[in-house]
Amino acid sequence: MHRFSFYLEGRPAPRLSFPLNKKYGSPAILVFFVLFATLALGQTKMSATESEALKAKVKSLANNTRTITSDFTQYKHLDFLSNDIESSGKLAFRAPDQVKWQYVKPYAYSIVFKNQTLYIDDEGNKSNIDVSGNKLFERLNHLIAASISGDMFDAEQFDMSFFNDSGKSLVHFMPKDPQFSEFISAFHITFNELGEVERVKMIEPSGDFTLIVFSNRKTNQPLSDAHFAQ
Amino acid sequence: MRILLSSICLFLVWGCASYPKKNNLEARPTKSEYATLNPYFSDTSKDYLYKANLSLYKKEFSGLLIVKKLGAAHHRVAFTTEIGNKIFDLTFIDEDFKVNYILNKMDRKPIINLLKNDFGLLMKERCQIRNTYGLNNDTVYETESQKKKFYYYLSEKGKLKKIVQSNRTKAQLTILFPKVNGEQADRIEVIHQDIDLTISLKAI
Repeated sequence: MHRFSFYLEGRPAPRLSFPLNKKYGSPAILVFFVLFATLALGQTKMSATESEALKAKVKSLANNTRTITSDFTQYKHLDFLSNDIESSGKLAFRAPDQVKWQYVKPYAYSIVFKNQTLYIDDEGNKSNIDVSGNKLFERLNHLIAASISGDMFDAEQFDMSFFNDSGKSLVHFMPKDPQFSEFISAFHITFNELGEVERVKMIEPSGDFTLIVFSNRKTNQPLSDAHFAQ
Repeated sequence: MRILLSSICLFLVWGCASYPKKNNLEARPTKSEYATLNPYFSDTSKDYLYKANLSLYKKEFSGLLIVKKLGAAHHRVAFTTEIGNKIFDLTFIDEDFKVNYILNKMDRKPIINLLKNDFGLLMKERCQIRNTYGLNNDTVYETESQKKKFYYYLSEKGKLKKIVQSNRTKAQLTILFPKVNGEQADRIEVIHQDIDLTISLKAI
């Protein structure tokens, strides 16, 4: 499990550079390497008590969060590229489900999810898409709002695994709905010690992923309608 | 009546005229050889990234076009939304083509054929020249593949300005390179003449 996670995190999987089945074939050596991989990863599975405590902390924080503003950097990883595609911008969220993603670099593009409509501003070209009645979109919108606030611990929708990762909490959410898992096979969300979302990684079935890292987060500052206007 | 008949005949003759004739291309001596005509996706060390805007029957779509040259005549072409969701991911190796991924909703033969044709043409670097023409100061190379003809317009300085895909008589698809910086095409316009589809690409 750990080695698998390690691979999904986009770092090279640990490789054994000599044949185990010959000279170094003892089980002790294998145990050493598994242990080494686990330590190198800094990632251990949470106990049930720890995962329940994390859920409670994140839910309580989400319930008390009315607004969030944050900067973000997005890394799009495609295996065949030499470098990840980096973009950055600002995020605004107002409970229960208004979200604005504003990309500033390297292109000006913003998207607002509001009142069953998707408002797009593409370098000044504005358009909207009415998505009322589109169940998949409703769920996507809910999911985006939930993943920003962190409160997506829904066992009906996801299989979940909980890890302690270098002092942070890491949760893997695997969508159960095949319609969803066609796009995203797993969300990996990293929470800081306060229960705030620091990183969201969306992994596609091919292994390519989108990583969003949040910074400069401010909560419960007043956000007017103008923040969500396009 | 005679005038009407002559007009119809003239129209028919003109309608059947070949693409070079219709477009006033003057025949020039031709060396039938393989040549690199499109250098804009030829650097394996580069990740090519474009902001893409598509207009299909007045509907607008946008996203990112990502191109990587992986070897001789081997390109990978992917399209994602600005937010990062992958829409399609294609491989072109010589004349071979493979869909690595495409959204279920777009997994239709006409769409796949269109992607194969347009991006296959855009990625193709080397072609065998069949005929050479001139137009003002431009040199126009005619190439042929799978019963279609292609015309590569190169400026006096040898920069590729335009590619036209034509059937026997008229243009079906035009690719323009209005802004070029060395061997990097900063802007690309893919314009279909047979359907209302335009793809605008801007390097980022």
